[in-house]
This record gives sequence, structure tokens and C-alpha cells, in this order.
Amino acid sequence: MTTAAIQAFPVDDGQPDRQPAGGRIPGNHGIWVGITCEFVEFLVLFTVYFVARAHNAEAFEAGPGRLSTLAGTAITLLMVTSSFFIACSVTTMRAGQQRQSLYWLIGGLVFALGYPLVKYLEFQWNLGHGIHGDSGIFFTVYYYLTLTHLVHGFWGILGLLWVLANHVNGSYTAESHPGLEALASYWHATDIIWLALFPLFYLLA
Amino acid sequence: MKAKPALPSLSLSTLFGAWLGLLGLTALGLVLARWSAGASGLPLAVAAVVWFKGWLVARHFIESNLAHPFIAWVLRIFIVCVPAALLITTWFGPQLARWTSL
Repeated sequence: MTTAAIQAFPVDDGQPDRQPAGGRIPGNHGIWVGITCEFVEFLVLFTVYFVARAHNAEAFEAGPGRLSTLAGTAITLLMVTSSFFIACSVTTMRAGQQRQSLYWLIGGLVFALGYPLVKYLEFQWNLGHGIHGDSGIFFTVYYYLTLTHLVHGFWGILGLLWVLANHVNGSYTAESHPGLEALASYWHATDIIWLALFPLFYLLA
Repeated sequence: MKAKPALPSLSLSTLFGAWLGLLGLTALGLVLARWSAGASGLPLAVAAVVWFKGWLVARHFIESNLAHPFIAWVLRIFIVCVPAALLITTWFGPQLARWTSL
């Protein structure tokens, strides 16, 4: 850890607390407005899911058995691993280890890119097995929610590319890296949403 | 005496532990779905797994314990909503369907 990092970032160094009153804002205010809106959007979509499930219990019990559990599991592993790598990127940046932070971020991007790839293969698999958006209420809701989540995944990947470009340009330091932490917060939030979607569509038979 | 609040971690081991926990819970979910399909307790177990995974990400990756109270509450509320809705739909499905009929 560099001396600059110790001086500039409020780490647990035994000194009196220098944390902002009221708690930290991971990243910046703007990203948390966006994340809150994302959560509200998905709460509406989850309401659609549960109302549809209440009205069509049999369809929702039979549906997961027709989807590819392998694809859902692969996306889950890709999401949690990319989230872990990006969290490591933030932590190593805090410690003044810019190069390690960059490597973690690149790793996070590689795993994140696996998400749309697996989703594409999954949709191809679905079509090959006669699973379309109009194959029944379960599949309509499945495409509705997972495609919306994929769109949010694309925003995250675009953000990752932007943050990566800034990182390579040396825009982030141990003292100041709000863009990196904002992107990490957004990706973790998108990860949390997927972790809720996964069992609802792939496991709860 | 006022307790000193926790500060952001510089350790990767906590993140690694959380990641391992997420992998383990994913495996647990798969095992539950495979061996308990149709069991009455499956939704409760799945709801618990969903909540715990969300908590792990919020607590260790976002560091919600250090975040502004608004952010901490947004995370808490969102993470509990899906498990709660799953249990409500499981236990009160017919009533929910009646309440939401046009």
C-alpha cells in the first residue's frame, strides 16, 4: 500500500475515524439514483412474475423443467465471479495497487462478457426445443424478465468498457476512483437481481 | 463512549470467502431443486438461499454496512422482497390470485 493511499483513504489504521458522517456513498450519488430505479423496475417485474405464478401455479411448476438448468447455472457462476473480480479491483485500487486492480477489472470484464454469450446460446437452445415467447405464460414472463435483465447486463458491460478505458489512461488513483466504484456498485446490483431470477425460472419446479 | 465505525476493507480474503459462499449456495440451490422437487419445504429453502446470496453480495461486495442509511435500506428492502413474495405466493397463492383478479 502506498503512503498516499494510507493518507488519502479512510482505512482502518487505528487513527480516529475519518469516515463521512452518515455513511459512505459507494461510487457517487448518480449511480445510486440509477440503481434505486433499477430495483424499482425489477420490483414491478417481480410483481408480474408472482401474480402470474399465483394465477398459473401448474405452468410455473412445470416451466423450469423445460429450461436449461446448465445455462442458468453458468450465467449465475459468470455473474458472481465477475462481481467478485470487480470487487477485488476496487479493493486493490484502494490499496494503491493500480496494476493488480486493472488485471482484476479485465478479469471481471471477461467473465461479464460470458453472460450475453451464454444467454445467446440458451435462447438458441430454447428455440431448438420449441420454447418461444408465446409458448405459455411461464415462458412469456421468463423472456420478459430475463431479456430485461440482459439489457441491464449490456449497460453494465458498456460501463465496464468505459471504466476500463479510464483505468488504462490512469484516471483512477487510490485517493480518487469514484467511477470504478460506481460501476462496481451497478454490477453488484445487477448480480443481486440475477441471483433472484435464477431460482424463480430454473429451480422452482 | 461512541463506537468507532468500521472502515472499508483492504483485504481480498473476505471477498474470496463471500465468493466461495455464493458458489456454495448456488450448488445448494441446485441440490435442493434436484432432490426436493415438489417438496412443500422447497420454496422456504429457496427463499432463504436467495436472501442469503443477496445479503452476501450487498454486505461484502457493496459494503452496505458502511454505506449511507438510504443505500443500506434500499438494499435490505430489495433483497427481502423476492423471498417474501415467494413465500406469500406459496402459502397464500389462491388468495393472491383472487385479490389480483380483474
